Amino acid sequence: MLISYNWLKSYIPEVPEVDKLTELITFKLCELESVEKLPNGDTVFDLKILPDRAHDLLSHRGVAYEIAGMLGLRVSENSSSNSFPQVLGSPRKEIGELGQTSSEKNNSSELSEKDNSVALLKTQLQIEIQTPSCKRYMGRIVRGVKVGTSPVWMVKYLESVGQRSINNIVDATNIILFGIGQPIHAFDLKRLDGEKIVVKNAKDGDELELVGSEKLKAKLRETDMMITDGVKNLAIAGVKGGLDSGINNDTTDILIEVASFDAVSVRKTARRLGIQTDASKRYENDLSSTLCDFAMMEISSLLKELCPEVEFEEVVDVYNIKQEERKVSFSADYISKVLGVKIPDEEIEKILNNYNYEFSHRSDLWEIRVPDLRLDITGAHDMVEEIGRVYGYDKIIPQLPDKIIGAKDNDIWTKICLAKNKLINDGYREVYNYALTDKGDMGILASASDKSFLRNNLLDGLKKSYELNRLNAPLLGTEEIKLFEVGTIFTKDGEEMHVAYLDKKNQVEMELDLFIKEKVSQDIHSEITHKILLNFCSARSVDLAQGSQDEHPATLLNPRIFKSWSSYPFMTRDIAVWVPEGTDSEILKNIYKEFGGELLLEEPKLFDSFTKPSKVEGEKARTSYAYHLVFQSYSRTLTDEEINKIMNSILEKIQHLGFEAR
Amino acid sequence: MQEDNTENKENTEEYKKGSLHPLTLIMNEAVSIMKDLGFVVEVGPELEDEWHNFDALNVPKDHPARDMQDTFFIKDKPGFVLRTHTSNTQIRYMENLVKSGGNPPFAIVVPGKVFRNESTDATHEMQFHQIEGLMIGEDVSVANMKGVLLEFFKRFFDGENVDIRLRPSFFPFVEPGFEIDLRIGEKWIELLGAGMVHPNVLKNCGIDGAKYQGFAFGIGLDRLMMMKLKIPDARFSYQGDLRLNQF
Repeated sequence: MLISYNWLKSYIPEVPEVDKLTELITFKLCELESVEKLPNGDTVFDLKILPDRAHDLLSHRGVAYEIAGMLGLRVSENSSSNSFPQVLGSPRKEIGELGQTSSEKNNSSELSEKDNSVALLKTQLQIEIQTPSCKRYMGRIVRGVKVGTSPVWMVKYLESVGQRSINNIVDATNIILFGIGQPIHAFDLKRLDGEKIVVKNAKDGDELELVGSEKLKAKLRETDMMITDGVKNLAIAGVKGGLDSGINNDTTDILIEVASFDAVSVRKTARRLGIQTDASKRYENDLSSTLCDFAMMEISSLLKELCPEVEFEEVVDVYNIKQEERKVSFSADYISKVLGVKIPDEEIEKILNNYNYEFSHRSDLWEIRVPDLRLDITGAHDMVEEIGRVYGYDKIIPQLPDKIIGAKDNDIWTKICLAKNKLINDGYREVYNYALTDKGDMGILASASDKSFLRNNLLDGLKKSYELNRLNAPLLGTEEIKLFEVGTIFTKDGEEMHVAYLDKKNQVEMELDLFIKEKVSQDIHSEITHKILLNFCSARSVDLAQGSQDEHPATLLNPRIFKSWSSYPFMTRDIAVWVPEGTDSEILKNIYKEFGGELLLEEPKLFDSFTKPSKVEGEKARTSYAYHLVFQSYSRTLTDEEINKIMNSILEKIQHLGFEAR
Repeated sequence: MQEDNTENKENTEEYKKGSLHPLTLIMNEAVSIMKDLGFVVEVGPELEDEWHNFDALNVPKDHPARDMQDTFFIKDKPGFVLRTHTSNTQIRYMENLVKSGGNPPFAIVVPGKVFRNESTDATHEMQFHQIEGLMIGEDVSVANMKGVLLEFFKRFFDGENVDIRLRPSFFPFVEPGFEIDLRIGEKWIELLGAGMVHPNVLKNCGIDGAKYQGFAFGIGLDRLMMMKLKIPDARFSYQGDLRLNQF
């Protein structure tokens, strides 16, 4: 959710500076994806709003109330009166804090009374709801609008949150959407068949061409909730409006929709059609139906400002599924026990006051009225976060809990460790292959990759690894490739834990249990098993003196830093040299390293050495040292010529020292 | 040739010995520290039903919270997924505990392979490994969670100057939920999710949420491996390439 600093400031004139705000949001509210200074002078914060707070924080007003609550500041709804003149009574004062006025007070009759400051026309608008998925539908006809460009302040606000200005009417609905979080739709009244709205499900096979540049035609099903005029579909409820009934330059009379839809219904339709809009995103996270009243007044005020000559009709409000008032109680002891830090009553009271909770406090029990928009607060556990994050998680002192004794590891874990321990002691090296593959007995749906099956054996993967590693054998310092994997495979009936190992002679795969029985054959709960596991699992405190032959210290003590490999081909050369007996082989190794330079991979490997007495009497015996050299570049493919050149230099040097290449 | 090949033999011995994949080494290391802190190891299935992977964890059907994890669904086996976290095993452990007449306190760690249906890059894989911890008792608190995690990282990044800090976050199975940053030296890194187990999750397993409370956390082992051993690409792990077994 993009939040404009300037827009936020219209709610909280005393909002802290950008740096301070960044810290507050990060440590007391939610993750910040970015903070960006815009060319228009504004700063925009990208808040990562997760589903629990999508009911109230996908709006500038919601974030303003949060920031104000943390700091004990007041939110000045009237501060935006430069932008939103109070033409329709003083709704902001009446509605007050974030949806805290009880829904009872906000019914349509009271709203009409407040609207008395402007003359309201009687309305002929009829609204009919034929589906339980529409909780509330408020409609108002506004006559005499002039579609045109938006004032600069609106264009700037929208620009800051990444929205393009379209026209003053559409922009006004977006200002309310991003300002207070309530989606609003405006229909061109003339495109309706009479002054009537019917909310009902689509008929299978219905089609609707949607607003927007894509010329998208939605194919509808009977599970999709639609806004209709009783004759034809006008919009997909909560998702997107139809092209035909949208606002255009000739529009003069409009119908304003402020509605509350069922989250799951909107979500299913939006998902199926693959259309996510700013409206559907808010509806599918669920919005309080109490927000509609305030939104209707805000949009009316804004339209009056944009087109002073407009005439308003009365609001028609069909409110079928009312939101219940909810209370939650908790004790300071409970909050303190969960957080592990004593939070004094005064601290709790201060936080509740700053956030304008309606609350009472009797003996140890705090009871709050859950703010209407906070659909996420359902019990005392939620108040642990509300109190804790504002109090400060940094004030909780880390404390190790008492150890729980007597419990045992799962046998499967023990067996996996024993199997791996056995195989590395037999000289096998472990690899992990992908569980996702291109053939198998069990398929997966809609994979992001080209692999759409689960492996039904480990050996197929091991064989591929064998080929790869066989070609790389010189790089691995071995001619013998011995591989193993312990992992899950999937048959038609389910999954099995398998062990597989592979080398020149063996290709074996079996279930873990069988491997343990046949190859390890020891009691998995015995003392010796315990010792083996201690060595196997522990990178530290390995007592090798006590270890048996079977134990292998898989140590990470003094871990080496990973050495990356080159993607270019390598070349190998073997070189054997006669030297007088007693000559240190290091002399040769250093020559190879000196001339090989950075192209020489790792240490030259001595793979053969032997000493031969001279047949000539009195002549010294000679020793032959044979080294294996591997050349590879991290930046290019090496050529024979350049390696030959290096080898020639080495031979020259060897001759120069009086040694003889074999 | 009648040569003396002793040195040759010794060299062969040296590279005849097998080796473990670095992820196994990291997993073993993490497990051994957690065991030292009083946790025992649990193992569970990778092919899982939606109850154990989602519903029991307070992630309702058709709720945006399910989108937080891109899921692989199984073909011709409705209601089954590849587990998106090892939390399924926490649910199974608690269900079995209650079924066998047991009660908290308990503390388990679950290392294992998990799956996410997303495109891969140097830091994202379709399959990766996690270690999750769960500790429940009568008064297991956020302070205890901080204590365990701080101790874990102190030992895991032995010799480094480490600290942790909590930020508010949301995971449906915990309340409150946290993102936890780790500081190594001067630098803070966002590393893991954690929180106090949601009372609904305990209730779903038959544990009295009014009496018992505790924490859960999940750490990416691939990430720990990359950090500790300075391995630059998560994809190296699953290519069957022995050049990775350097440790």
